[in-house]
Amino acid sequence: MLQRGSADSENDGGPQFAEVFVIIWFGAVTITLNSKLLGGNISFFQSLCVLGYCILPLTVALLVCRLVLLAKPGPINFIVRLFVVIMMFAWSIVASTAFLADSQPPNRKALAVYPVFLFYFVISWMILTFTP
Amino acid sequence: MKQALVDDTEDVSLDFGNEEELAFRKAKIRHPLATFFHLFFRVSAIVTYVGCDWFSRSFVGCFVTVLLLLSFDFWSVKNVTGRLMVGLRWWNQVDEDGKSHWIFEARKVSPNSIAATEAEARIFWLGLIICPIIWIVFFFSTLFSLKLKWLALVIAGISLQAANLYGYILCKMGGESDISKAAASFLSQTVFQTVSD
Repeated sequence: MLQRGSADSENDGGPQFAEVFVIIWFGAVTITLNSKLLGGNISFFQSLCVLGYCILPLTVALLVCRLVLLAKPGPINFIVRLFVVIMMFAWSIVASTAFLADSQPPNRKALAVYPVFLFYFVISWMILTFTP
Repeated sequence: MKQALVDDTEDVSLDFGNEEELAFRKAKIRHPLATFFHLFFRVSAIVTYVGCDWFSRSFVGCFVTVLLLLSFDFWSVKNVTGRLMVGLRWWNQVDEDGKSHWIFEARKVSPNSIAATEAEARIFWLGLIICPIIWIVFFFSTLFSLKLKWLALVIAGISLQAANLYGYILCKMGGESDISKAAASFLSQTVFQTVSD
């Protein structure tokens, strides 16, 4: 009885969910604060919204990877997944940079874009290294 | 004489087509669907949070469900029920230089337009005030029972509901920028009403 537990049971994916949730939320908030502190002309919630929308390509990549993982494992499997993730990652970066970089003065664009790159890179890494 | 004749034959508007409007004015709750949904999402979020042990054993499922219910509640209270039930609304506008302004509006009550009914206003404000208080109680209970993984959810709940409460209080206060004056006038009003009942 004690081991069966309740909603606090051990193997329901709780820690992984919490990890993804916290990374995305704190990552987005940090990027927004960084952008604002660099003197960017964008509102807090607008920036959070843009970063959220630009995760969509990576979500598609996650779905595709999950489907590809149903097939036979091997190097081809990995290369397909790698290609898909890289494409979607590039799309996310281009989409969010188009919005976020414009709100900065020209000499600071790279400083504002670098955390976005890092954020989406971490998410892409989590997607690529996911094994069911 | 001629003037009187002309006056007699002038058009007199007969109120035949306005039965719907009369029924609308007399009803105690004019927007039953909005009232229902105003309370439904808030209460089901609280019920799901409290009863998650009985519904399912998955932490993730419960977390996501409560978060979705809280988001639906935030959207519907901010965009629909406040406007329909008490005639208040608030939003954020970004003008061309990128500066954002928060705008709070209250519907002006004139003889032509319809004021909010008392039942709807009471349901609206009670629902708006009681639920954040319940979430604050959950916050302390989660903190002291050390079930810290629920803390993120409780904090999200408190912020979403308190945001709506704060927005609507600012709408209600309208031009008054001093909260203590508004609170004092509200308290004196309530005391007067209780004494005169």
